[in-house]
Amino acid sequence: MTAALSLAEISKSYFGVPALTGISFDLEPGRLLGLVGQNGAGKSTLMNVLGGVVAADAGQMQLFGRPYAPRRPADAKANGIAFIHQELNLFGNLTIAENIFVADFPRRRGLVDWSSARSRAAKLLQMVGLAMPPDTLVELLSPGERQLVEVAKGLSVEPQLVIFDEPTTSLTARETTQLFALIRRLKSEGTTIVYISHNLGDVLALADDIAVLREGQLVAQGRATDFDIGKMIKLMIGRDIDALFPPRHSASPGAVLLQAQGVTRRGAVDNVSLSVRAGEIVGIFGLMGAGRTELARLIFGLDTMDSGQLALPDGVPRHRVTPQMAIAAGLAFVTEDRRQEGLLMNAPIADNLVLASLREFASGPGLVDDTASLAAAREMARRLSIEARDIAVQPAKTLSGGNQQRVVLGKWLMVDPRLIILDEPTRGIDIGARYAIYEMIDQLASAGRGLILISSEIEEVMAMSDRLLVMSEGEIVAEFQRSAWSRELILRAAFREAEAA
Amino acid sequence: MSSAQLTEQRHQQGAPAARWLKRILLSDYFVLYLTIAYFLGVAVFFPALVEPRNLSNQLANVWPLAAAAIGETFVLLIAGIDLSIGATMGFASVAGAVVMTSAADKLLLGGSPLWGTLLGETGGVLANHPAAAAVAILVMLVAGMLIGALSGFFIARFRLPAFMMTLVALMFFSSAAVWITQSQNIVNLPDSFTNLGAGDVVSVYFGEKATPEIKRRDILPLVTYPMLITTGLAVLAHLLLTRTTFGRYVYAVGINRKAAAVSGVPVGRVIVAVFAIAGLCAAVAGILYSARLEGGRPTIGGGSALLDIIGATVIGGTSLSGGKGKIAWTMVGVLFFVLLSNTLNYMRLSAFHIDMVKGAVILAAALLDVLRTRLLQRDAL
Amino acid sequence: MKATTKWIAAGAAVALGLAISMPSKAADTTVCYAFQDLSTGFWVAGHQAIVSTLEKNGVKVVELNGAHDANRQLEQVKDCIAQGGAGIILTADDGDSGTVVVAAAQEADVPIATFNRPPSDMSKGIVVVADNEAVARAAVDAMNAEAQKKFATTGKKLKPLILMGDLADPNAVKRREGFMNSIAKHPELFEKPVEVATKWNSQTALAGLEAAMTADPEIDFIFTSSDFLFPTIQSVLDPLGKWKKAGEPGHIILGGLDGDDGACKLIGDGFVDSTGVQDVYLEAELALTGILDAIKASEARPNAVKLDPGFALSQANYKEMADKTWGCQVLKSKS
Repeated sequence: MTAALSLAEISKSYFGVPALTGISFDLEPGRLLGLVGQNGAGKSTLMNVLGGVVAADAGQMQLFGRPYAPRRPADAKANGIAFIHQELNLFGNLTIAENIFVADFPRRRGLVDWSSARSRAAKLLQMVGLAMPPDTLVELLSPGERQLVEVAKGLSVEPQLVIFDEPTTSLTARETTQLFALIRRLKSEGTTIVYISHNLGDVLALADDIAVLREGQLVAQGRATDFDIGKMIKLMIGRDIDALFPPRHSASPGAVLLQAQGVTRRGAVDNVSLSVRAGEIVGIFGLMGAGRTELARLIFGLDTMDSGQLALPDGVPRHRVTPQMAIAAGLAFVTEDRRQEGLLMNAPIADNLVLASLREFASGPGLVDDTASLAAAREMARRLSIEARDIAVQPAKTLSGGNQQRVVLGKWLMVDPRLIILDEPTRGIDIGARYAIYEMIDQLASAGRGLILISSEIEEVMAMSDRLLVMSEGEIVAEFQRSAWSRELILRAAFREAEAA
Repeated sequence: MSSAQLTEQRHQQGAPAARWLKRILLSDYFVLYLTIAYFLGVAVFFPALVEPRNLSNQLANVWPLAAAAIGETFVLLIAGIDLSIGATMGFASVAGAVVMTSAADKLLLGGSPLWGTLLGETGGVLANHPAAAAVAILVMLVAGMLIGALSGFFIARFRLPAFMMTLVALMFFSSAAVWITQSQNIVNLPDSFTNLGAGDVVSVYFGEKATPEIKRRDILPLVTYPMLITTGLAVLAHLLLTRTTFGRYVYAVGINRKAAAVSGVPVGRVIVAVFAIAGLCAAVAGILYSARLEGGRPTIGGGSALLDIIGATVIGGTSLSGGKGKIAWTMVGVLFFVLLSNTLNYMRLSAFHIDMVKGAVILAAALLDVLRTRLLQRDAL
Repeated sequence: MKATTKWIAAGAAVALGLAISMPSKAADTTVCYAFQDLSTGFWVAGHQAIVSTLEKNGVKVVELNGAHDANRQLEQVKDCIAQGGAGIILTADDGDSGTVVVAAAQEADVPIATFNRPPSDMSKGIVVVADNEAVARAAVDAMNAEAQKKFATTGKKLKPLILMGDLADPNAVKRREGFMNSIAKHPELFEKPVEVATKWNSQTALAGLEAAMTADPEIDFIFTSSDFLFPTIQSVLDPLGKWKKAGEPGHIILGGLDGDDGACKLIGDGFVDSTGVQDVYLEAELALTGILDAIKASEARPNAVKLDPGFALSQANYKEMADKTWGCQVLKSKS
């Protein structure tokens, strides 16, 4: 039988860093392939190559026996491949129908055939189980509903191959069940499916075959029946689970560094109270949209609270905080998106390192002592093992993800903070660098600083936190001590399944 | 293959000529090379233009333009733009003149809203006072700063796009200047002020002493007050940007405003300060033009002045997307621009043709800026 | 700085040194004519007169259009001086900038003459200016002749109206003076005149004239400070039935100043009674001879005021004076 999809030695590098190396596999038609791997293992890159978003540097692809080399997404679409992305590409100010057909509206005599568009959209919506009129504006929909629109959009071309990239991140349990039913139906109609997800349980439930990516290479491939979750994790990580995280040296917590009471901001955070002590790591777990980053921004003063009170490490309770105040009071904030908010990408590494602590090196009318600041920057770079040829000249964007994150940490360590908020600190960073960062986090806590660790990765948060708060829809819905938690309890709390049950 | 090796490989790609061209284009000294090359070209085709008389004359046009361009540089550095710089020049010109004029014609200025209070037939508030010029200059500088700070406030606090806000300021303050003066010029300014426009501190003479009498027109001003004023401003601006925390903050805000805010940079205050500085520089330019034309003129800074100012700054290499630029670059850009204008004038092109050519050159500079940004990003590891 | 940069800079310095040390070749006499756009027929005619006369005298003319930017004009004149201009003829945008430009030229010992628009300080430079007062007075005197005739028949005093120019323009001020002086000679003929300000703007003139005619429909003697407003006057009088030829009932005695092609035609046709003509040919000649004489005599800072008395073109003297009127020449060339 001709393979539906056949890859041979596909390779791709970004800026000299290899993302995929020699990927080869065959996918039988009408089967579902579960593709798993850590962040940065290459799953998205591989799908982008398949979907025509980027071009491979080397290798060949074949689609149902024909050579396949898309140059742009439209080519993939034309070849019957539907790519349902992780990041939603929808236009909020347009309707569902307009979004579905945005690239190719049905036409009649040169003009858009709206009735045809609407009726086809309605049929697709029925297929994915979204009970909304096709004229609804997308901006009114919840993230889960938008994800279903994205699915509908993909299915509109009646594809032979569908790629799902993390489709369930925003879905409720009910929507997830509906999606799975849809997927099974598609499979039975002969559509070939590639399913990418972090949720290994879902993957095992749906897949006929499984492929594991690690650091850009295909390390395992076979029938789903040959795999179990433990085996998958081991293959994804490359070492035993125990060695993924460093040993945690929990100290007995000291003075209260942060006390938040009733922090509220309409539409984001609802009546959150928490406290952090010196030497403890408080984890905050939750799904996307739970309000964790929003909470961090409120604590740090990037957004204003509608009501509530914050007592920062200097002890003074406040209703209004600014970043300058927060820093002066001993706070630091390693943001989620280091590219947009963490670093000045085009500026030299040294400039980035000293940015938050510039005032320390200034005298008189603000004149900066360049020698002193550069020396301090070099010292910090050495301490954190930041690999760069010359930090005074090299721009931050030339560093790898792991090194970039070290620069961000270095910047904050230079203000000698007492409490550090870390928002997804290991996102987009490879395994080796992650371990180093976990070690740093552990050391910071041992040295007496307080840390808030926000993460979507349950393993990470379970390994590193002393206490765990679970947020959902802007509220803290559960708190767990290290001694009394389990993966299932935490996930249930995040999904609010306790109520539904 | 290591990342360093891969980059080298990338650099080796392409014909040697293309590589050399790319290196020149990306060089920070590009505009300097261009100006020197242009100058040499001009020397060959229009030798009259490189005579010292002409050069000295052109230099006189550099100083007022450079003062305004320095201000615009600050604004471009934070990825903003200031369209009101010309209007601020005109308003400042008028504000100062009102204070120091020693006589005003009732027929012309009688309709002014200031007539009877700040302005009368015997002139302004400090008419004929020995300190009139000094106070007037102070008034002009403060007026410029306040106008800038006002724009900056609205841009920082309400997140109005700089383009929109400064456009509004342009319309408002140019109209205000015309209203105050009823479209007239305010003349009768004290000599101590008008000397700033053209006074020589050092003059030179080139050529043999053929006749016992040296022709007046051949005595060329070398060091003039405008030169001293603008050079002083440039040095201060340079120090501010390169040696102070404020300067670092300016670049940080321009490179990535959000990251700067997270890192504790007082973004709002930086924005207000930058626009205030631009207003101050505009006022300095207004002082120089007013002194030269010996009057407070509401039309100073109008016409193609904005094109000249922003154009010279962009040609100098300061990026429109923020975070990249130096005062030295702007000075070279102004020099190039004045040379270019001189050549076009010499070719007797009509005013419209000249503006068209200037526009094309500025467009080329902006495209080059985009091209360079893209090349730099692609080369990044 | 990199080594390459140093080499390039050194090369440039050497080239500059060579260029400076080269002797400049002897230039033929160049006179620069600096003006501010040619917005009306008057300026076009003047420009034409100046350029052609200069060329006839074997002088190279460099034309500099300042486009209503005083700073630009100053820079252009300075450029001219720096590039070896022998003399300058100037029409400034306003009196104040004119004074500054004249001072700049005299500073460099280059003779300068101003054409038609005088600088606010008329003691410097060769100032050629129409004696606006005399020209206006002549025009109104010609109108008075008609007024006499009307008064003789009706016995009623006439109601005069003047459309004044922008009083910042000294020309406008003088023209008003001439009008007033002429009227004052015959107090028995005239009531107190209505003054309408136009700021040299036809829209403003339209509004003002309409308001005046509505307020006082008896107005029967209108003088405009510039001929370009005649179409505006026609658009107001025609609907009122008062746009009539001389001799017809309802004819309002009309006079203007400039002598443009429009006025020439209207006088020929009989609608307008007279206009004061600026003798642009005379003015151009006065400016040119002034400059050329100064250049020949190596006079660096000639100062003089040369007045053009102008003359009145009326229906009475149309046949003789039409040829000397620049506007009628323009009319002839159009037809």
